Amino acid sequence: MAYEISIFLENKIGHFERITRILKEGEINIRSMSINDTANGWGILNLLVNNPEKAYNVLEEAGVSVALKEIIALEMKDQAGGLNELLLKVAQAKVNFNNANGRIIEATKSAILILDVPDIDESKKKLIDHGIQFIDDNTIYGN
Amino acid sequence: MKKTYWEEELEGFDRENLEKLQVERLNQTLENAMRSPYYNKLFKAKGIKPGTIKSVAQIRDLPFTTKQDLRDNFPYGFLTLPKKEIIRLHSSSGTTGNPTVIFHNRHDINSWANLMARSLFCAGVRDTDVFQNISGYGLFTGGLGFQYGIERLGCLSIPAGAGNSLRQIKLMQDYGTTVAHAIPSYLGRLYEVFEQQNLDPKKDTLLHTLVIGAEPHTEEQRLRIEEMFGVKAYNSYGLSEMNGPGVAFECTYQEGLHIWEDAFIIEIVNPDTLEPVPDGEYGELVMTTLDREAMPIIRYRTRDITRIIPGECKCGRVHRRIDRIVGRSDDMFIIKGCNVFPMQIEGVLLKIPEVNTNYLINLETINGIDEMVVNVEVNKEWFTGDIRKLDLLTKQITAKIRDEVLAKPIVKLVEPGTIPQAEGKAVRVKDKRNNGLK
Repeated sequence: MAYEISIFLENKIGHFERITRILKEGEINIRSMSINDTANGWGILNLLVNNPEKAYNVLEEAGVSVALKEIIALEMKDQAGGLNELLLKVAQAKVNFNNANGRIIEATKSAILILDVPDIDESKKKLIDHGIQFIDDNTIYGN
Repeated sequence: MKKTYWEEELEGFDRENLEKLQVERLNQTLENAMRSPYYNKLFKAKGIKPGTIKSVAQIRDLPFTTKQDLRDNFPYGFLTLPKKEIIRLHSSSGTTGNPTVIFHNRHDINSWANLMARSLFCAGVRDTDVFQNISGYGLFTGGLGFQYGIERLGCLSIPAGAGNSLRQIKLMQDYGTTVAHAIPSYLGRLYEVFEQQNLDPKKDTLLHTLVIGAEPHTEEQRLRIEEMFGVKAYNSYGLSEMNGPGVAFECTYQEGLHIWEDAFIIEIVNPDTLEPVPDGEYGELVMTTLDREAMPIIRYRTRDITRIIPGECKCGRVHRRIDRIVGRSDDMFIIKGCNVFPMQIEGVLLKIPEVNTNYLINLETINGIDEMVVNVEVNKEWFTGDIRKLDLLTKQITAKIRDEVLAKPIVKLVEPGTIPQAEGKAVRVKDKRNNGLK
């Protein structure tokens, strides 16, 4: 099971920097990120890191509102139409998602699509039923 | 003969005659009060006997009444009459704890309507005016309180209610409104809507008078309102425990608010020592009803800080003047015309497990409107990283606070640990408003 970490972040100068400083001191490597912005003055920062449990612990100790969130990681080809090909399969499996981001894996010339889905167990089952493979955790975390 | 006062005798008294009436009415009030469970017990315990008061100064021998006393004896502890005699109640907002409720019989409603009519007359409003009451109707006294006074005076009344600026403007234009009553912070907003419609209230309405009350405001803010609308703006003071509006009102000289001393005995006391302060010095206003049958209240601590303006008014009325309210001796604040205690907000947050009770209320003017911004810390343990849950939580808190205090807040979730911990008297409210007036 793969996880990303979600952080409650106020839209204020220096708050994001503070998070990255804590992670730097914990020697955590960030693989990819996304921020949900809302008009409320706060957003959710989602980070894919090399060691989610450790990242969670160092942030938690620093008093940050942080959660470990299970995600689904799927492989796609790093070429034109690669994402489309994958999303077609995901759509056929009738899996909807709240948030997504991607990253390239240099070594294999492939790319990862990371999905944050409303119901993780049901979504996984649907994808498995449609023969879609998940990427192993070490590849996701880039270890 | 042209009428100068609404009631020649009661307003034109000399002080000696006024005090004679006050003593007479105070004894009557004590006699009425003895019929309520609360005062009956209290007076007996303290050996207070109606009919023994010989001078106004003797009021200092009577005990104070506080908002807490009213709440502790909710709902009927202060009632002097059987419910059959009661025809209306007004009540404070709130779903937690006991509200403050005031009952009126027919005499009380009549007397209040008369005081309200007298107040408006004193500010130059006449039966030829068209009066638009931009005020919430219902339990809030600014609606019906004004309504009855406007009708008693004989104006054409437009019970417009609060909000919906476009409709307010249309009503003004359709029926040629000459006088309107609103909270001062709303008038800034209303003016903006006039501007958006390419209308100028000075040219495009017949307004000549605005009555502004229910919210403290400065002289600068009054002048700004007068300039924007091209009117005279008169300050109105009242509180639901003393009926509501119609307690004190400015006359056309605009040099303080005449407080109707035939209906109330007023004292200004030091809020710490509760000793009287000399005229001209600021202190807490304490009021005793003199003309209320269903629910007389003795020496009520209003918590409003003001002073008596020394000297006589040019208008010749005997009733002394109080200055504008400069603050509170407790932590209540007023937003969107609603009285709010920080404890009410705390009470709401206490019941929401997702947040903790560290909060900070910022009163800010945003786009010309005074807003109550409630900053709340999200509990770390509850955070799951789901943005929808947080959006929903924001909506929930907003609705619950609105239900409690009637004013809609802007709820801002903040990171845990960013609001200073409550230590002793923590500052829970920061007032950064300019009352909607730039």
